[in-house]
Amino acid sequence: MGDYLVLAISAILVNNILLAQYLGNCPFLGTSKKMETAVGMAAAVVFVLVMAGLITWIVNTFVLQTLGLDYLRTIAFILVIASLVQFVEMFLKKSIPALYAGLGIFLPLITTNCAVMGVCLINVNEEYTFIQALVSSFAYAVGFGLALILFAGVRERVLLGRVPRPLQDTSIALVTAGIISLAFFAFKGMV
Amino acid sequence: MIEALLFMLIIGALCGTVLSFASKIFYVWEDPRIAQVENYLAGANCGGCGFTGCSAAAAAVVEGKAPPSVCAVAGPEATTSVAGVMGMDPGSAEPRVSMNPCDGGDRAEDRFYYNGVNTCEAMVAMFGGKRVCQVGCLGYGDCVRICSFSAIKMGPEGYPVIDEVACVGCGACQRACPKDLIHVRTMSDRLLHTNLETDPLAPCQQTCPAEIDIPTYIAQIREGDYEGAVHTIRERNPLLLSCGRVCPHPCEDYCRRGVEDEAVSINQLKRFAADFEMNSGKRLPIACAPDTGKRVAVAGGGPAGLSAAYFLRRLGHSVTIFEAMPKLGGMIRYGIPEYRLPKKTLDWEIEGILNLGIEARTNMRLGRDFNVADMEKEGFEAIFIAHGAWVDYNLKVEGEDLKGCFKGIDFLSRLASGEELDIKGKKAAVVGGGNSAIDCVRNLIRLGAEEVSIVYRRTRSEMPANEVEIEAAEHEGINFVFLAAPTQVIGDADGNVKQLEYLKMELGEPDASGRRRPVPVEGSETRMDLDILITAIGQQPDMSFKNMGPGMADLKITRWNTFDTDPYTLQTSIPHIFTAGDAATGPSLVVEAIGGGRRAARSIHQFLSGEEVKAPESSLFKRHIDESIFKQVPGVEKKPRSKMTELPPEERVKSFEEVDKVLTEEEALAESNRCLSCCRVCYNPDVAA
Amino acid sequence: MAKSITQEFVKGLWDEIPPFRLVLGLCPALAVTKSVQDGLGMGMATTFVLLCSNMLVSLLRKVIPPKVRIACFIVVIATFVTVVELVMQAYTYPLFLSLGIFIPLIVVNCIVLGRSEAFAFKQPILPSIADGLGIGIGFTLSLGALGAVREALGNGTLLGHSIFGAGFEPFAFMQEAPGAFVGLGLMLALMNLVGKK
Repeated sequence: MGDYLVLAISAILVNNILLAQYLGNCPFLGTSKKMETAVGMAAAVVFVLVMAGLITWIVNTFVLQTLGLDYLRTIAFILVIASLVQFVEMFLKKSIPALYAGLGIFLPLITTNCAVMGVCLINVNEEYTFIQALVSSFAYAVGFGLALILFAGVRERVLLGRVPRPLQDTSIALVTAGIISLAFFAFKGMV
Repeated sequence: MIEALLFMLIIGALCGTVLSFASKIFYVWEDPRIAQVENYLAGANCGGCGFTGCSAAAAAVVEGKAPPSVCAVAGPEATTSVAGVMGMDPGSAEPRVSMNPCDGGDRAEDRFYYNGVNTCEAMVAMFGGKRVCQVGCLGYGDCVRICSFSAIKMGPEGYPVIDEVACVGCGACQRACPKDLIHVRTMSDRLLHTNLETDPLAPCQQTCPAEIDIPTYIAQIREGDYEGAVHTIRERNPLLLSCGRVCPHPCEDYCRRGVEDEAVSINQLKRFAADFEMNSGKRLPIACAPDTGKRVAVAGGGPAGLSAAYFLRRLGHSVTIFEAMPKLGGMIRYGIPEYRLPKKTLDWEIEGILNLGIEARTNMRLGRDFNVADMEKEGFEAIFIAHGAWVDYNLKVEGEDLKGCFKGIDFLSRLASGEELDIKGKKAAVVGGGNSAIDCVRNLIRLGAEEVSIVYRRTRSEMPANEVEIEAAEHEGINFVFLAAPTQVIGDADGNVKQLEYLKMELGEPDASGRRRPVPVEGSETRMDLDILITAIGQQPDMSFKNMGPGMADLKITRWNTFDTDPYTLQTSIPHIFTAGDAATGPSLVVEAIGGGRRAARSIHQFLSGEEVKAPESSLFKRHIDESIFKQVPGVEKKPRSKMTELPPEERVKSFEEVDKVLTEEEALAESNRCLSCCRVCYNPDVAA
Repeated sequence: MAKSITQEFVKGLWDEIPPFRLVLGLCPALAVTKSVQDGLGMGMATTFVLLCSNMLVSLLRKVIPPKVRIACFIVVIATFVTVVELVMQAYTYPLFLSLGIFIPLIVVNCIVLGRSEAFAFKQPILPSIADGLGIGIGFTLSLGALGAVREALGNGTLLGHSIFGAGFEPFAFMQEAPGAFVGLGLMLALMNLVGKK
């Protein structure tokens, strides 16, 4: 149990996927302008990342490794993730419109979110067990959401600041992200 | 090798099959344009645009929340293609153009001084913006920065100016503007917009019953853009030649310059622009929305009917006008005399409206030649009845049907129809104090009557006729008999009218209308000799059609014999029947009928589109915005208004030639420069205050 | 409107240079720019994938049904990414190790997918090659430049050679994640300052 806790804390704080692992930055900047969007995106990532983490783990363990086709991992993973995301999107739109309105619109953005693909690859590279993969996927996703929501909060305040023209928009956002990342840097000694 | 190929084939086939089944099972309808737009976006789902994926971005484009250039990855070709889907194709939809209604800019006063932020969005987050005006532009240019087509520039006066040619109507500026000021509107949206409490409106525009954007057209005249001025007026009033001549211009009563100086001669400027078009010899093109295939019948070809028909046609509906008289125009043809509005001018104006593709059937009287059921049978989905108020009130005294006695409207319309009446050398009197009475006396004097009197039961200051008209009549030598109430009309043995007997009156307590009630003086009976007597004491609509034809039982009528309607929507108690003009309001102004015609067209458009027929929220309708009505207007230097040239009275009584002359270009320019270019709370003072 | 092949190539070097003008592909730009070598290596790998996928997509543009085009692009890109992965593993193992997970992640770099969709799917093969090459080299240069800044300030070296002498105390900050964000942000500001828009 303790191992899982360490794994989770490490994934959420120490190795935060956005701020320490540099993954998923395009949507990080794109969807952090408003708090609402950030929350929606965070929830959608948690949802998809857990599903994708598990399915790719299954595909990897039971298909690729059994057949000795490790070199097809990249191509197989991206196909599975893309199909999964699209399927979930269509399913939500029809069956649970309320949930779709909240999360669904963020789903397409996740296909090419390298955080999802990245976590799936980390799970495989670290040779996690099924439970470990589950915990790590969930924890990384929570870390993503945490960073995104914190960042959105800061960005809403930055709007009121007097930003020099060349630094406006993406540029100041990146510098801000750097400072937040510095704060997360302090967790390095924890685990 | 074989394994790898097989594996890829299987996984590919599996994914494909699952997805194609899923897309059938989980099918949900959405706006087809979203798919079309998405087709042109990169499909990379990268989030670079700030939206949640390509389909979300496409949906945002379709909703007007994002520009066609939203995609950070796709090139300019994609932008063009998306703009193509979004209604740049005139065949499928109307072009949309961005509009900034505020022209306060830098002249608007600041509430506080703050130098910390430089975007509108941030400024609104700080106490709603620093300017005093609650609705106006902040001038930080968020819209300018967001526009990908360089169609918005920050103007020299501190508010954004939109280049309508470059604008593709993408809506990015509308989304960027935190004051919700800039709107991307189609022509139809603009035609349907009525004054709102939250609009940046000058007092004159709040007052005008037709809601014409007066400051804009005056500014256009000032800049020499006379065609632009005509277009601006036509967005609210299709009868600008007629209104420019006959409108009593209530707007001028609220002119801010008028608080300190003489009001701007707004109506003369309108007439100048209108006459400019007519005298230029070519008609300016008037755009119409794509055909909707819906048919509307308009019963009554007067100002209200013409206005409604014009707006409905421009909104894309197919319109047929039914007119009882041989020619269109209603009261402005048959009630307003030639010397005020020449028939040639009116013909030119009406022809321009019919040129939009409006069918007109004349000599068709509602209730006589056809009824409402006939129109329904013919396939008209909505019916607009504005048959005016043509039934004269009777004096209710003995002898008023003698030979030589006429009713006001009847007299005027017979005259206008070209009937020869033997007036020369006769003594005539007109009973009444309204505009029709004045029109009658001024007509009589031109027809060669030897002596013309006007008999009114109160005094000059209570006369409901327009001041300028009363003055003109005085100049033309009309004899005014005030405080006189007719009691009897006396004829000779042949039944010809000979004398009018009246009681002298004195003014008592004010009545419900605020005018002092005339009280008869006992035993003051007086007789005046005359050969012609015209009674012009008011009119009401003819509602006899209600009893002819089925299905009219539900039609509610007021006690003044007008339609009982909501005054804004003008929908009658039968949902598909609408009205406007005198038939709805009782005898009123031409410009009121025109405004009513547009509101009715708006309601009909809502009705035909299956929407609820109702006034917009926070509609200003006939009220004023308190904060824009000033008691003092600092910074105004007195400058006399341009005097309209008129024919000298000696000359004008000899003919029916138009009395009032149009302003010269020089005078119009001078007059337009007197305009303070007011907005809701700010204006341009003459001198630095 | 048709631009010459040269123009298609040159635009990727300045007008649309990623990740500055085209704010995409941020993850590799942040992650693998600890040194010039890593930056250039990543850039070249991406360029190769971009070039090949642009070429193949352009060749197949008449065959691929538009409805499933995105899936087809992904398969094409993933194939070339796998090729790069295997080649690098075989010939430049140290670089392969230092880039790590980011090589397979080229597949979800939206620059690559975006160019296939926005350009190669609509253009003949020659402009597509020029476009892929231009954007790829632009990306490589950006990564190299950012790598150079971070390596020089964070480690006092450039391509492994000491440049500031022994007395220089490196900013360890620049080698870590915060330095990556701030460095990229400031370079972007610099680009904004130089370019007009």
